[in-house]
Amino acid sequence: MRWRERAAPVGVGAAAVAAAILLSGVLLGLGGYAPLDAGRALLGGAFGSADAFFSITLVRSVPLLLTGLAVALAFRAGVWNIGAEGQLYAGAIAGVWVGLLGAGLPAWVLGPSVLVAAALGGAVWALVPALMRLRLGVGEVITTILMNFLGIHLAAFLVHGPLQEARGVFPQTDQIDPAARLPVLLSGTRLHVGFIVALLLAVGLSLFLRRTRLGFHVRAVGASRDAASVAGRIDARRVTLVAFLGSGALAGLAGGVEVAGVTYALYEGLSPGWGYTAIAVALLARLEPMAVLATGVLFGALESGAGAMQRDAAIPAVWVIAIQALIILAVLALDQLRRRGVGGAASV
Amino acid sequence: MERTPSAGLARSEHGQPSVRLAGVTRRFGPVVALAGADLVLHAGEVHALLGENGAGKSTLLGILGGMLRPDAGTVEIGGAPVVLRSPRDARSRGVGLVHQHFALVPALSVVENLALGQRSGRGGWALPHERVRAEAIAMIRRTGLEVPLDATIEELGVGERQRVEILKALLRDPPILALDEPTAVLTPREVDALFDLLRELVRGGRAVLLVAHKIDEVLRVADRVTVLRQGRTTLSAPRAEIDAPTLIRAMVGRDIQDAAAVGWGSERGARGGAVGEPVASLDKVRVREASGRLRLDDVSLTVCRGEIVGVAGVEGNGQRELALLLAGRIAADEGIVRVPARSGFVPQDRTREGLIADFDLVENVALALHDDARFRRGMLLRWAEIEQRAEEVRARFGVRAPDVRTRAGALSGGNQQRLVVGRELAGSPELVVAENPTRGLDFAATAFVHEELVRLARAEARSAIVLVSTDLDEVLALSDRVLVMTRGSLVPVDEAHRTREGVGALMLGGRDAVA
Repeated sequence: MRWRERAAPVGVGAAAVAAAILLSGVLLGLGGYAPLDAGRALLGGAFGSADAFFSITLVRSVPLLLTGLAVALAFRAGVWNIGAEGQLYAGAIAGVWVGLLGAGLPAWVLGPSVLVAAALGGAVWALVPALMRLRLGVGEVITTILMNFLGIHLAAFLVHGPLQEARGVFPQTDQIDPAARLPVLLSGTRLHVGFIVALLLAVGLSLFLRRTRLGFHVRAVGASRDAASVAGRIDARRVTLVAFLGSGALAGLAGGVEVAGVTYALYEGLSPGWGYTAIAVALLARLEPMAVLATGVLFGALESGAGAMQRDAAIPAVWVIAIQALIILAVLALDQLRRRGVGGAASV
Repeated sequence: MERTPSAGLARSEHGQPSVRLAGVTRRFGPVVALAGADLVLHAGEVHALLGENGAGKSTLLGILGGMLRPDAGTVEIGGAPVVLRSPRDARSRGVGLVHQHFALVPALSVVENLALGQRSGRGGWALPHERVRAEAIAMIRRTGLEVPLDATIEELGVGERQRVEILKALLRDPPILALDEPTAVLTPREVDALFDLLRELVRGGRAVLLVAHKIDEVLRVADRVTVLRQGRTTLSAPRAEIDAPTLIRAMVGRDIQDAAAVGWGSERGARGGAVGEPVASLDKVRVREASGRLRLDDVSLTVCRGEIVGVAGVEGNGQRELALLLAGRIAADEGIVRVPARSGFVPQDRTREGLIADFDLVENVALALHDDARFRRGMLLRWAEIEQRAEEVRARFGVRAPDVRTRAGALSGGNQQRLVVGRELAGSPELVVAENPTRGLDFAATAFVHEELVRLARAEARSAIVLVSTDLDEVLALSDRVLVMTRGSLVPVDEAHRTREGVGALMLGGRDAVA
């Protein structure tokens, strides 16, 4: 793509955010809140201090980055994986399990093992809808959503029963072995190595899609299954399977990174819906992995700012959800306008 | 067919033109599609609109049909200036459009598609299926445009879809009917019937605008011809004042000869040359569709280096499966198939199967190269080499695009086809399977594709070419051997039957015998 075309999404994203902020201000004003105070609290909570930025905003953005990449990969292949949430839980379960079982192993073995197990867990969770689509022709939108419920409730069942902490007080697992935990990246903050993992994976996924043969297959099948198979002789079923598994692995990794880097244990409600927000993260990034870095951090900042808004300006955090929704709507609208302006479909 | 002088009379009677487009300009991003084109369409005339790929024909039609708004210029209908805001707007002003790219709902049946957009039946909610069915049957009888009314669109081939599209427009009985290259996938008999019908329509005082790409058809049916070149009107004259060379000059600005236009009989014998070793063979092959119905029944065929094998047939008789099989895109259910691992394949539906609209030229060229060892390095693709090939294709095959980073979707239909053909032929594969490769192409582009196919078979590459086409003239002109697909069987055509009439009879034989 040309530089201008590649830069366009960034412009659209920025314009969308600006439009959404304006609209949100109006809404907040109508709701009887002081928009400026709200904005100040939100920005302060997200970026106001090194601690707010590194320990809250960036830490919260890590699972959003990874699930955002997961959704971007799937959507680029034309696989409508709405199941990042369930895959995240499957990854968290697998990661915690290995982290508990592997106690005593050296960190250089156990740490990576937790992450690999998490990725495998997510991939297995995605394998079910993949096989249902490829063998039975069942649409993955439904099956991945249903697998979310299974994943969420399997985690709940485990922390109430088989994997509950030894004390038996709270519905959560024991803490994983210190050797299984991700090291802190910046001393004095809570930012862990998982952020670097997400960063590298974004770069890797971007290179994969642009440079490699399989990445080309993914893009071709996603853009036109018919042309990919007829003109490209690409095995679309294989590509679909790869996209399901890769996407599931990335989402599973998000769960593993969260338990190994932040919570050190699995508990009910580990994710506040990251797997769903990930869809917004990926769409706002127009499914470009490098742009996911920006949108993932943006949504991380919105989450951390929401807390501050509630605390400092007494505005319910649901407003932030509304703002997120406004951003997505604004992106979709602006993107359509841009396409029409540039004249996408021109039969001369 | 007799040509009536009624057009002139109608003009003087009505005076006012039905449609007047003046100074119409339209650009798509950096591409200027129309640069001040003019068109005057009168009631009572069949008006042919000719032009090369990218000359702006489809854009002009899009403006008349309300799909596109002009950047500059005026549109008048019935003498009054109008702004057509939508296809519905255009329809309500009496413009009926037959699309080149089908505007049909794939999952719905033919009747349901015909009923869409018709005035509703009871209570304004139900679609008027019964009335539409009766009207459709009557119209099919009148026009000879055979379509299975209860089949879904996705079950139909391109030719059948085209017939549905024409029927759909005719059922609305618009005073101004515009058809975008309707004859490309019709059989000769259907083309004759359609032309008779168009003549009948204009006798009733309607105006017909026919976007066409075959000069002989234009000369046969039109009362008046307008030629576009590079977005401008270069000629507009009554039929009596023009001939084929005039039209070609107006279209391309120079003289061109096409193998197919020169005449199929004259050259064939001289062309020849010995054929080489076999590159593909089918032995007693059967292919079934999911329902179990046989699409190919006991088909045997050997194709050798240096020969062009032409396969004619009415859409839906198995030639699609034959092409896919030879190109290695599908497997046979029974029989022995020997085809090269890599071959050139020009699929008939270029927008759906030939290329990816959201991909640029380089990426579309990569579709054919990603398997080729010269264009990959382990898991990586050699994008620099692929881009170089894309540049070659663009230059050699005259793909009109600002650069190779242009989206394929931004190209005109003809330029898209040049891209597909160029991509598939550029590597001089040992076998090329081409399905209706010149469908919707203008004169110059058609001549070019024909030349390239012949060159590939004759030059040192000596590729084997299988040309599957519904265009009889094309098949007869280019092929060393002609076969006809009818109801899943492949019938060789001997010298005695190698005429339009002979092959036409064979093509329809199966169907007529049953009907």
